[in-house]
Amino acid sequence: MCDFHVRFSVLHYEVSPLSVPLSHFHLDHCGALPYMSEMVGYDGPIYMTHPTKAICPILLEDFRKITVDKKGETNFFTSQMIKDCMKKVVPLNLHQTVQVDEELEIKAYYAGHVLGAAMFQIKVGSESVVYTGDYNMTPDRHLGAAWIDKCRPDILISESTYATTIRDSKRCRERDFLKKVHETVERGGKVLIPVFALGRAQELCILLETFWERMNLKAPIYFSTGLTEKANHYYKLFITWTNQKIRKTFVQRNMFEFKHIKAFDRSYADNPGPMVVFATPGMLHAGQSLQIFKKWAGNEKNMLIMPGYCVQGTVGHKILNGQKKLEMEGRATLDVKLQVEYMSFSAHADAIGIMQLIRMAEPRNMLLVHGEAKKMEFLKDKIEQEFSISCYMPANGETTTVVTNPSVPVDISLNLLKREMALGGPLPDAKRPRTMHGTLIMKDNSLRLVSPEQALKELGLSEHQLRFTCRVQLHDPHSDTDTLGRIYTHLKSVLKSYSIQHVPDGTVIVESIVIKVTSSAEEPNLKVILLSWSYQDEELGSFLSTLLKKGLPS
Amino acid sequence: MDSDCLSLLPAVCLVLADPKQSPPDDTSLEKLLDWFKELHSQSDGQVLLQHQPCLLEFISSVCMSKTTDPAILSFTLKLTGLLAATTQELHLFDEGGLLVNVFEREAWGVCDLWEDASVRSGWLQGLLNMLKHQQALGFICGNGLIKVILQLQNDRSLFVACLANQLLVHILNFLTSPNMTNGSDVVGSSESSLRPDWVSASSEIMNAVVEALSSEDHPQVLQGLRLLSLVLSKCGEPIISTLWKDVLVPLEVLVNRGSESLIQTLITVLEAALGTPLLSQSEYKVEELLEAMLGDGNRKECFHCAALIVKLEKCPEVLKRKATDIILLPLQCVSTQPQAEKEINVVLKEQLSQKASCISLLMQSLSSLAQLAHTKYLFEDISIHSITSSVLLLLRMCSGHCPTSLLHSNAFTHLIGCCKVQRCGLDTLGALSVYEEILDLRKDIFGVLLDYLQSPDSHATVLKKTFQAVKRWIVCSPFPDLLQFISHDLFPVLEKRMCDLRWEVRDSTLEFITQLTTALNGNSGFTEALHTSGMVSVLLSSLADAEGYVRASAVAAVGEAVTASSHQMVLVSNSKLLDEALVQMMAILSQDTEGFPRRAVVQAFTSWLKGSHLITALELSLSSVLSLGGSDFDWEVKMHTLELAEVLMEKTLTCCPYAVQNFGSSEETRFTQALIKFKNFGLFDLLFNSLFDCDRPVCEKACALLVKLRTLTAETADLDNSLLVLNVCGNRWGDEVQRRYLNKQQAKASVSVTNGVTGSDEGTDCGLHCTKDISLPKILQILDLDDMQRMLTLSSDHVVNSPRSLMEDILSAAQHSEENIVDCY
Repeated sequence: MCDFHVRFSVLHYEVSPLSVPLSHFHLDHCGALPYMSEMVGYDGPIYMTHPTKAICPILLEDFRKITVDKKGETNFFTSQMIKDCMKKVVPLNLHQTVQVDEELEIKAYYAGHVLGAAMFQIKVGSESVVYTGDYNMTPDRHLGAAWIDKCRPDILISESTYATTIRDSKRCRERDFLKKVHETVERGGKVLIPVFALGRAQELCILLETFWERMNLKAPIYFSTGLTEKANHYYKLFITWTNQKIRKTFVQRNMFEFKHIKAFDRSYADNPGPMVVFATPGMLHAGQSLQIFKKWAGNEKNMLIMPGYCVQGTVGHKILNGQKKLEMEGRATLDVKLQVEYMSFSAHADAIGIMQLIRMAEPRNMLLVHGEAKKMEFLKDKIEQEFSISCYMPANGETTTVVTNPSVPVDISLNLLKREMALGGPLPDAKRPRTMHGTLIMKDNSLRLVSPEQALKELGLSEHQLRFTCRVQLHDPHSDTDTLGRIYTHLKSVLKSYSIQHVPDGTVIVESIVIKVTSSAEEPNLKVILLSWSYQDEELGSFLSTLLKKGLPS
Repeated sequence: MDSDCLSLLPAVCLVLADPKQSPPDDTSLEKLLDWFKELHSQSDGQVLLQHQPCLLEFISSVCMSKTTDPAILSFTLKLTGLLAATTQELHLFDEGGLLVNVFEREAWGVCDLWEDASVRSGWLQGLLNMLKHQQALGFICGNGLIKVILQLQNDRSLFVACLANQLLVHILNFLTSPNMTNGSDVVGSSESSLRPDWVSASSEIMNAVVEALSSEDHPQVLQGLRLLSLVLSKCGEPIISTLWKDVLVPLEVLVNRGSESLIQTLITVLEAALGTPLLSQSEYKVEELLEAMLGDGNRKECFHCAALIVKLEKCPEVLKRKATDIILLPLQCVSTQPQAEKEINVVLKEQLSQKASCISLLMQSLSSLAQLAHTKYLFEDISIHSITSSVLLLLRMCSGHCPTSLLHSNAFTHLIGCCKVQRCGLDTLGALSVYEEILDLRKDIFGVLLDYLQSPDSHATVLKKTFQAVKRWIVCSPFPDLLQFISHDLFPVLEKRMCDLRWEVRDSTLEFITQLTTALNGNSGFTEALHTSGMVSVLLSSLADAEGYVRASAVAAVGEAVTASSHQMVLVSNSKLLDEALVQMMAILSQDTEGFPRRAVVQAFTSWLKGSHLITALELSLSSVLSLGGSDFDWEVKMHTLELAEVLMEKTLTCCPYAVQNFGSSEETRFTQALIKFKNFGLFDLLFNSLFDCDRPVCEKACALLVKLRTLTAETADLDNSLLVLNVCGNRWGDEVQRRYLNKQQAKASVSVTNGVTGSDEGTDCGLHCTKDISLPKILQILDLDDMQRMLTLSSDHVVNSPRSLMEDILSAAQHSEENIVDCY
């Protein structure tokens, strides 16, 4: 079982999962983890990468804060539960195969998206599933692109957030962002960027830091939350998980040691002059970002940059909808005069990226999740067309059955092997598959291939003969006996290495095949040739019936 | 608010019905539906439909439209059901045949929409919402909808299938409710008092259950069983006995077949049956069926059944004993000497010889045992002594120690280092501490537990369970050698574990020490051991651990150690420990980059303050704690600081009988002195700063404390205000107080001018331009604390998350055609 949706209702499962590999620290993937491990009672292992294990509690604490802020301390996990949950986490390295139990193994691959994000390959025997979590196929300012080897999973479960989108150049969007921030600061305005504590915030910080350095700008940049100090600490610590450019720069300095970005104190919001402030939460629904927004909203010189999605029921959602008058507490209204800009620095794979991943992993089946049905439908058709594989997109709560072709190890009896060897051919070789005939015995949780005789003996069964019969009609202006004689001669010339007998009772016998000829008094020239053979000679029997249908040589 | 919303409703309906508009997200539609539900439950629904004709138009246009979105249709179906939940409303719908058009899918503009699971789910939910009166049932039966519901019971969507089952149960239940049987006695009523189409509806449903149970199709059987268990737990007579009679034969077949994948569901059915009168009537064979599921302990599945039966609350005693005997078999088998092994059944031996089934069986056995121990179950056939010995032996096997007589067993090789069994075994061992009969095994028990604590191979999660078990056994009944065990055996291991490479282990160790210190609080021997063993210095050094979580646990442990030692005034090291702890904790509070240790420091101060003996020693640090804690980044540090302030207030003020209305002069003085003390501590700064904090819980807590203060100051008649003047300049909160103060003064001045009064006492005392110093009681009056408190008790998003706000959002999204491309997380 991988990741869960934050809605707790989904966790009333009947079957306890064996393990929980968790892809990354975003709350729509890890938000219900403490609930599951500490309140529902899941006691198995939880797997995540080292950065995810380090950063997850920060996000969960933030989630807790937001929920308590809204509803008070009611039926929600505590900080102690978050810690207890984290103690159960087994950290993973990339490409490290972990054996969960006798049969189940998991392996993590780099997914881009956010620091520490991983895709998981889950394998049981020869069958495997790859679950992508969220991933990004294009490197950004601080992270590399997702990568997976040609593991040919039976199913590739991929996110499809941007199933139909093809993203334009990120450079343009970055230039646009910097231009807008610069212009506002130049005219003495303040810029508020509400962010999620981690992830995109660090990317934007790098962007501004570099720009400030290059342009020698003096306006202060602040980061508002205490959480971020710790987050930046982890970004510094896990620098090997970032992209190559950042790792190279690391020799001179750590890219996450921000020179221009300082911690924010709430009294700074009233300071005159320009400034840029990153503040949480990202949806402007409470806390510091909302408090700063209220102070700055009335001034048209200021700017608000929304880089993230906002759910209904938040101020951010209203702003994104273009509302200019907001109702505040106590029926007060707030005029939104500041400029509002929307920026997308998405870290999800777009349609091209998803196709690229399929090309990399070469799955046998595709399953799309984490997207909108209509867009997924389009991508599904495209995938099926281009890769000739089945693609599924089950709705929540729907079951998809995928037929796989597993290779099941079977023990072969020595007798059968010896017999096979006696028939000639190359020696058994693991790399060269070949067909073997025998009887499969499935007993006591084991599979064995033995000779039919041995199987009969072991199982105490008696043998039944099964014969195939076939009638072939042909015109032959001779007596039945002559026709049979002609058949005998014909077969003698065609089947030189076989023993063929012409028995006096009016039959010709080739191996187990019995051939008889009859005709009716009305049509003496229309001969009915009756062939009968046992299953061992199925091939020869079919051959003879085809041969005789062609007629006898004159 | 509702009138505002109702005025917006027509426009919202137009937007939702407009196929050119992309529908709002699911959560918005769900919220809208919640609002309708609330509205409907509050008022007469008929008024809503009659006064809002837009609703009928909306429903009609959605169903007829050829371009309806599935989300909108699903919403409409649910809404229709909700609005048709009274007979009057149903008639309004029925007048134009609208109800049939809504629930008859052939009548929809787009028939394909049925393929969408959300539409099927909306359809079922709509019927469920509607089924509150006879006419609704008449509508369902009269239009042949039962058949569709039964089909949906086997839907490919889990949610749809589950909802279909709920609806079917609701229908059955409804059929036997008093209002359906013309007021006749429910239990005694027979089907003959029902309308013929309802009788046929109930038999259709019951037949479907019987058919499902007799089916060869596994998912269908499962759904049938699920419906059956729902009926048993939700319906009354005569439904349950009628249905039970019909399903008994196929149920017996299923039970006897013993299919592994059905066990859980079959047990759920039988568990539900145990809670009904069926149990007391032997012809219904409930007990017999449960016994049949157990068999004679010779089937692979019987262990799973036994584990489930052991958990049943209302299980007959005989059956429970049988299940207990069976479920303990794997545990006994693994730990039994070969000569006794002969009696053990072949199936079990085979299962134990394979790793996966061996582990799973032993875990079932152990967790069932723990379950039984929680209820202090009295074992009969087997002694608790022998069971505990088996658990101990199993734990030893898991850590690689095995008596030679058992070395031959495959189970031993499966068990070495198996964390799952170790954790489960330790939990069970802890649970067994309730049995006094096994106290003589304590030496062995602590031996095994110490082995686990010492073993370098013990996994962090296993160590945590070991600590829990040790604590349970220490706490359950202190024994004469306890202190010796703690100081000679336990402490040295703990000291090592506090230096473990894994932060999880260090943290669990510190948590354990804290719990142990709390549990043995007042035990002078323990406190002495704690101080003389060098443990305290290890605890103090843990305050500088690299991991924040560990530092926090170390703070808690040191805090508890200080509290424990405060009872032992004779110890010289006490004051030294407190001094050192204070220095380090203040350093953590002011410098630690992580919230958890800072939270722990403030909590430690709170718990110290609660114990009166330490107050004087803490006085010097308190003002720093209040100031640092109040300006912390972390909201929980701020919350804990306010809790500390609350304790400080209570402690200081308990000297004043402030509950009495009129203070005597000395009491007033004492109260004034207390307030001056608070001022010197910086408590008012903390409270006023927090009142204007950006985090709602912080403001709420501060507001509550200020209200308390206001009550006290108001009750004290002759409070010397001059001693309680606060400087509002240069304070963060000062601006807000000043602004409000000036507003009030201006308002007063303008009233005075209008009334022709020149000057007042207050005006001369404190002019409009002289607002640097304001007395505490005045500030508390200026601030409209009641209004603030009322607002703060509401959710922080109550404005933006209100129904009106929701409707405005839907409307503005429709006007705002440009799609914003923003990041998805």
